[in-house]
Amino acid sequence: MGESKSDVLQGTLDLMVLKTLESMGSLHGYAIARRIEQVSDNTLIMNQGTIYPALLRLQQRKWIKAGWGISETGRRAKFYSLCRIGRKQIEMETENWERIAATMARFLAPSH
Amino acid sequence: MEPIRILLSRCSALFRRRNLDEDLDAELSSHIEFAVEENMKRGMSAQQARTRALREFGGVTQTKEAYRVQQGLPFLEAVLIDVRYGLRQLRKSPAFAATAILTLALGIGGMTAVFSVVEAVLLRPLPFKDSGQLLSLHEWVREDPHEFNVTAPDVLIFQRESKAFTGEGGYVGAGYDVTGAGAPFHAAAERVTASLFPVLGVDPLLGRTFTQKEDENTAPVTVISYSLWRERFQSDPGVLGKTIDLDRRPYTIIGVMPRNFEFPLDAGRLSRRDLWVPMSFTPVEKNSEGSNYDYGLVARLRPGVSTAQAQIDVNRVIAGIQPRYTAVAGLHLQGYFRTLKEETVHSARPFLNILLGAVSLIMLIACVNIANLLLVRAASRRREFGVRLALGAARRIVLRQLLTESLLLSAIGGTIGAALAVVLVHAAAVHLPDSLPRLGEIAIRWPLFAAASGFAGVTGVLCGVAPALASMRTDVLDSLRDGSHAAGQGRSQYNLQSVLVILETALALLLLVASGLLLRSFAKMLETDPGFQPQHVLTASLSLPRHDYPTQQKVDEFYAELQRRVETLPGVRTVSFSSNIPIVGQNGGRLITPEGHVRSVGEGFLIASTYLVQGNYFQTLHIPLIRGRYLDDRDVQAGAPMVAIISQSFAETYFHGKDPIGLRMKVGDRFDGPMPAITVVGVVGDVKQGALDQPTVAQMYEPISQAAAALGPMAAMLGVAGNMDVVIRTADDPSRLLPSLEKIVHQLDPLLVVSRAHTMDEIVAATESSRRFNTAILTAFAAIALVLSLLGIYGVLAYAVAQRTREIAIRMALGASRKVVLLRTLRYALTVAVMGVVGGLIASIGLTHFLKSLLYGVKPLDSATIAGAVLVLLCCSALAALIPAQRAASIDPMRALRAE
Repeated sequence: MGESKSDVLQGTLDLMVLKTLESMGSLHGYAIARRIEQVSDNTLIMNQGTIYPALLRLQQRKWIKAGWGISETGRRAKFYSLCRIGRKQIEMETENWERIAATMARFLAPSH
Repeated sequence: MEPIRILLSRCSALFRRRNLDEDLDAELSSHIEFAVEENMKRGMSAQQARTRALREFGGVTQTKEAYRVQQGLPFLEAVLIDVRYGLRQLRKSPAFAATAILTLALGIGGMTAVFSVVEAVLLRPLPFKDSGQLLSLHEWVREDPHEFNVTAPDVLIFQRESKAFTGEGGYVGAGYDVTGAGAPFHAAAERVTASLFPVLGVDPLLGRTFTQKEDENTAPVTVISYSLWRERFQSDPGVLGKTIDLDRRPYTIIGVMPRNFEFPLDAGRLSRRDLWVPMSFTPVEKNSEGSNYDYGLVARLRPGVSTAQAQIDVNRVIAGIQPRYTAVAGLHLQGYFRTLKEETVHSARPFLNILLGAVSLIMLIACVNIANLLLVRAASRRREFGVRLALGAARRIVLRQLLTESLLLSAIGGTIGAALAVVLVHAAAVHLPDSLPRLGEIAIRWPLFAAASGFAGVTGVLCGVAPALASMRTDVLDSLRDGSHAAGQGRSQYNLQSVLVILETALALLLLVASGLLLRSFAKMLETDPGFQPQHVLTASLSLPRHDYPTQQKVDEFYAELQRRVETLPGVRTVSFSSNIPIVGQNGGRLITPEGHVRSVGEGFLIASTYLVQGNYFQTLHIPLIRGRYLDDRDVQAGAPMVAIISQSFAETYFHGKDPIGLRMKVGDRFDGPMPAITVVGVVGDVKQGALDQPTVAQMYEPISQAAAALGPMAAMLGVAGNMDVVIRTADDPSRLLPSLEKIVHQLDPLLVVSRAHTMDEIVAATESSRRFNTAILTAFAAIALVLSLLGIYGVLAYAVAQRTREIAIRMALGASRKVVLLRTLRYALTVAVMGVVGGLIASIGLTHFLKSLLYGVKPLDSATIAGAVLVLLCCSALAALIPAQRAASIDPMRALRAE
């Protein structure tokens, strides 16, 4: 809960979700949100709720799929996992993101 | 690909909204619980854990909203909300909704159906290639007012001589007993020249049509209709080359016409031809100048030739024919043409135009009624809008909802109207009278439905939204202020409504007068004496093929034996035969010249419908004898003097009231010709030759045994009279006799077909059906118009009473009696009705003459009918006003004022 948290950049959330699912397999919404917070070392300010429209958006594109299941703690929850199209999409999105990041890095480089 | 996937997902979500919402709720609450669990593990209290979880989640409601927006189609959902709201509003006032929807449905449905029929019958081009270029040629002689087709020799002359056309096809009706294709039956056929099908530009579905050679050589070939092919040959593609027997002569099938092909396009359902054969004029036909004008001639106008040029060409050809006519019969021949389409539809036009006019009036009344209803509704909701606007509702949203409501009414009304139109068009195809052509082409025309719906929709929007818009422009406070709605704007709206009701009433009266006139005509028709007694009479047609009955003697023997055998059947009173029967008889006739009659220049011919009879014809039909005697056995004997019986109108018209018994006459246009003289021995009553509402023509009866002799040198024209109608009077139900009749006929000749077997009652009823239909439909329209306009009157008064409750209450508090209040309300209703009546009367005077062609025995301005219509309208108006008037009179002034 530090002061230096930044907002999640539009569109990056989708990629974060995809990557999370790729590395962790099937997860429910809370776990995905927590995982993203942990990976970012709590530097991202994220209303956990914003994950849900993103999850829906990915479902509508058929990149991920959802189904009800039981968590380790015995709670009923909706679990999300990657689809075939989603797996392929990660590569493209990653490249996309790296290109943007590289471009930004060049802009921000002090010696420019 | 992706956008489509997303759209599909969003659309499908629309229909699973409730499930998805529950799903989301469950998911979000499980999320919170996970968070609470984790927080508590970190040592927070339950309360703290939950607060923290909710804070980290962000707004649950916002998330749900964002989720929903992502999930569904937001615009559509707003519309759905409006629709739901609109439906709720309509459900809240079911009487208004039902009336408006029903009115719209009647208007739209009726309009669509009638326009579809009119389009199919009157407007659509004929189903031939470039059908606008097809003309139907006619001849007429200056000496006679009747319109003719052309003669057989003239068909050939036009084919040879005319230059304005690319082709001419001749045709004439024929009938054949068909054997060798299932059960024997009598086929309606058409003899056509080889050029006919090419002129029409129609190709056969299978095979080919006739060649010129087949036409010239009387080749026994035939082209059959699609329905004959389907029903008798089970759509066998190998039908070509098979033979069927027409009048017992084998004909080879060389072609099958397409399903919708119909030619000629005569009125009615039973007029469709089963087959076509080559014209192959006989030598007698080729030499029959000026005597038989039964041949149709259709020509295709040469491209680039104007109709005026074509007329000049026709005149030129006629001028070439003319000398021979002058020589033979002293006739002055003229030629003219009209388009084949005009020829086909002109007889149907008056009725359909009237139908169209009537249904347009209904549509107009329906729209006026809708306008009225919506005005009332908008006014009564002025306050509601005021409240909503005052509470901060956006005008845009209120208007959108109103618009949705109006469109909703139109949509529901339109849907029911569409269903109604489908039913009506279907019914029309089955029940429209046989006096109309092209009934097979009738189908619903959806563009017309769209037009009618659009018209109604625009009315709905204008009348539903415009007043609301106007009332919103005015001060919101004004509409909320107590009592103000009874004055000012309310008053001007009230006047507008009165005008609408007056209009409605006027239109309703017009339709009432029209239907009254038709009802009176129908009653007159039913009262008309057909001139004979149709009860207990069976008729049927027999046509003895010339091949097997080559001489008159053979024919006579057959009929004599048939008569002898039928007379022995139980229940048979009398048996007779005639070449012609009443009601459905041939109006054609013979030229007759009484002795001593000198035809003055320009005088028309004396023409009489001829009945060649055998047996007790008059006794069978109970045609009354007025003077002299009936035909009897002495007239049948060899060498008997030539005699005839004439009808009363014949005696009056041609013998000018002299006692005609014993007077002589001759067939032909002169008495000094070579024809044998015929002596009149009796006068009988006139019979109706056509439908009961058709005028009577002069009739004469001759014994069949003398028929050939009466024509003298022209006897060859007649040929052998093998086609006769059997007419039998029975003691009881005549239709029960039919099986025995068929059995006897088949004993005499197993191949002979008994066709057109009907009781005389059926025949009379069938000719009434067209008028019965016209009358019923116009009466139904008038009833609808009346109900709609009464609803209008009721609506306006009910509104006025509701709006003026306060005013009426004050009056009553100040001493006005209930009676005065009641009478005041009724007086308003009657004032409006009387003004409507005046308008309706003016319209009736201007318009009923269009009905003339449908009237029988009644003048277009029949005072009794008009008086009746006015009375009905005024009484009904008073009744419609009574309910709101009584409500006004029963207002309790104290309670009403306190409520305000």
